[in-house]
Amino acid sequence: MPVLIGILLLVSLLLVFLYNNLVRKKNAVENAFFSMDVMLKKRYDLIPQLVETVKGYMHHERELLSGLTELRQKVIQEQLPANEKVKLDNQINTVLQQVRVQFENYPELKASENFLRLQGAVNETEEQLAASRRYYNAAVNDYHNVLETFPSSLMASWAGMGRKEYFSIGEAEKGVPDLSIK
Amino acid sequence: MPGEKEFNTFYEKELESLLVPLEAERKKIKKQGVTGFIFLGVAAVFFIFAVTETGTPAVVAAVAAFVTAIVFFVLFGLRKNKFTRNFKGIIVNRVIQFIDPSLKYNPRLSISKEDYMSSGLFVERPDRYTGDDYIEGMHGKTVFCFSELHTERQVNTDKSSHWETIFKGLFFIADFNKHFSGRTYVWREGRPQVNFLTRIFSSFASGLEKVKLESVEFEKRFTVYSSDQVEARYILTPSFMERVVRLQDRMGEEVSLSFVNTNIYVAIPIREALFEPSVFSANDFSRVEDFRTTLQIVYDIIDELKLNQRLWTKE
Repeated sequence: MPVLIGILLLVSLLLVFLYNNLVRKKNAVENAFFSMDVMLKKRYDLIPQLVETVKGYMHHERELLSGLTELRQKVIQEQLPANEKVKLDNQINTVLQQVRVQFENYPELKASENFLRLQGAVNETEEQLAASRRYYNAAVNDYHNVLETFPSSLMASWAGMGRKEYFSIGEAEKGVPDLSIK
Repeated sequence: MPGEKEFNTFYEKELESLLVPLEAERKKIKKQGVTGFIFLGVAAVFFIFAVTETGTPAVVAAVAAFVTAIVFFVLFGLRKNKFTRNFKGIIVNRVIQFIDPSLKYNPRLSISKEDYMSSGLFVERPDRYTGDDYIEGMHGKTVFCFSELHTERQVNTDKSSHWETIFKGLFFIADFNKHFSGRTYVWREGRPQVNFLTRIFSSFASGLEKVKLESVEFEKRFTVYSSDQVEARYILTPSFMERVVRLQDRMGEEVSLSFVNTNIYVAIPIREALFEPSVFSANDFSRVEDFRTTLQIVYDIIDELKLNQRLWTKE
């Protein structure tokens, strides 16, 4: 009898450990998502400033800029589901890239102090964003490792825990963003 | 930094003539050392005589020769120290000023023990801490300082105790090009300064978490611990990791880095003493060239890690 109790105790301890480990990893993912969200907000705050600064110079890209403003309006709405947010953010990424390419055509813009300062702020936010994305992906990876290996996989399916989405990190973001202040 | 050609002309024009009297002095000191050794040899021979044929005056001769040897060694030591000081003041100082006149050089100072400890690169408190040849300056936008350091621990065994080196080489500190508030350590793979036990018991390791990074090559070579997972990645961008790998290729595998108090700390183990003249061999062009190469290492760290590429908040 004592042996049986001992085994039961051991098994329940193991179960507790497995469950807690799973929850810890899942929380790490959520925590990482939150820290990324903070960075994203910071980035969205910069967009109106950026548009305001460049629109006086960039006459041919009005549409591109208003598109950017629209996207930003959408993404800052509260209660947006996470995957929707990711999708919108990817679109913002693309448009921002396009706008950045156009900067090259406006030497007066590139010489403006306001713009330089802003460009610096954008670059820095992008770097921080890239870092929090990488952390998010690492946390997801960690979580998946626990989720899909035996025996915690059994525990996960019992608790109804599922996979999380990775954030795609674009080629351009992998490196240091282009610092136009050289 | 001036190129090799300019350095050659500088050597021929300014240093060569200054080295002549120093070289003469060095030879005299060397002679004193060698004489000391000869007397020591003579003392040994007399001592053997004294042992094999007891009662002969060989004992007296052995003692006399031994005392003479000691006198020579003491004189040699004193003169050698004076020579080194003199040499550093004249030659090393000039080489450093030639490379960058704004560099500040102090042959007697070193990186402070507080800085060494706060870098966290070597968590163990050393029992003996020595160093010299402190240099500080600016390269591009980066403020830096470095010195030679030698830190040791005392190991006590049953019968005796001896010294073991913790770190010997070049210790470098520079202002990092990004803002951060946490602590991030890049230790060589297999030599992390924290483990399961220290994480529970030491205040240094508390709050530190292992950071798993994407670069396979980097992960193979280094173990990273940080107090902030996001910040660690903010510092160690993919391109920065590549640069650290290249730095390791050039400086040797024991290189370690840390990011604390908005500074970057780099420890590069080097066996030879830096910025030291020799007494037993000639201090010629190749020796002086060594001083230049040592400085080059520091400039290379700054360039290789692109510390001058500043983000706007840290202009």
